[in-house]
Amino acid sequence: MTISKTISKIMDVEFGANLPAFEPDTSLEIVKTFATLIGWDGARFRDHEAARKEGLAGAMVPGVLSQGYLVAMIHQWAPMAEIKAIDTVFRAPVIADEPHSITGVVTDINEDEGLVEIDLTVANEKGETRVFGTASVSLPA
Amino acid sequence: MDADIDELREKYLNQPFDEKTFYMDPAVTIEYARLCGETAGRFLDRDHPDFQTPPTYIASLSGRRSLPIDFPRFGIGMDAGKGVECLNPVRPGSTLTGRTHLHDIYTKTGRSGRMVFVVSRLEFFDENGLHLANSDSRSVIREK
Repeated sequence: MTISKTISKIMDVEFGANLPAFEPDTSLEIVKTFATLIGWDGARFRDHEAARKEGLAGAMVPGVLSQGYLVAMIHQWAPMAEIKAIDTVFRAPVIADEPHSITGVVTDINEDEGLVEIDLTVANEKGETRVFGTASVSLPA
Repeated sequence: MDADIDELREKYLNQPFDEKTFYMDPAVTIEYARLCGETAGRFLDRDHPDFQTPPTYIASLSGRRSLPIDFPRFGIGMDAGKGVECLNPVRPGSTLTGRTHLHDIYTKTGRSGRMVFVVSRLEFFDENGLHLANSDSRSVIREK
């Protein structure tokens, strides 16, 4: 079940619903700009060839940018959602310039406390999970 | 729990070992939100009445140290994940104080041996001492 409408209240959330598909911009240009912004100077975030020399498949997306993509997806689905907590596991590198998809599934709804739990995944084109995690978000009643 | 890990927990958990201030530059937090693909106005528009930093922005900030200076080196540490807990909105233009302590130390044993996980927590407070958020960095150390 995939929800395409924007969510504004917790009563609109359905258990087991898939959040709308979100394709993050993992272009090397975005990754380099982001790495510069946060002061991460490593060549692995800027240059495919340099990253390969470090044993990676190519320049990698910083883990905090992947985390940012996940939160952006939640806000695209529910603009009023307040992130209470998010926990992410960096299972394998997200490689820049490769298409990735982000998915989210509602796994719990607590209407009394106004909280929704969402399982999150970043996967590459082969369907391999690169990052996974969980977010707890609050929504208006 | 292994005896050596118990000792480490006893000695290091919840003992602050670093403090640093961070200025929340609005231009930086807006750009951060844009690059992540944020669409919500409260992260992108400095004139929004609820203008705030993206929730995970604090995860990109680091203290001067991530481990106590005398913490034993088991092997090579790798980034195993990050967690953020948001208690109150972080306002661009403000200056935060970040204090770091070790929040957890535990092990997992796999086919290649024991791995030690260390969770370093950076707590953020505003100018009035209000606790705004926590940023957890989880590193995994595969023993030599």
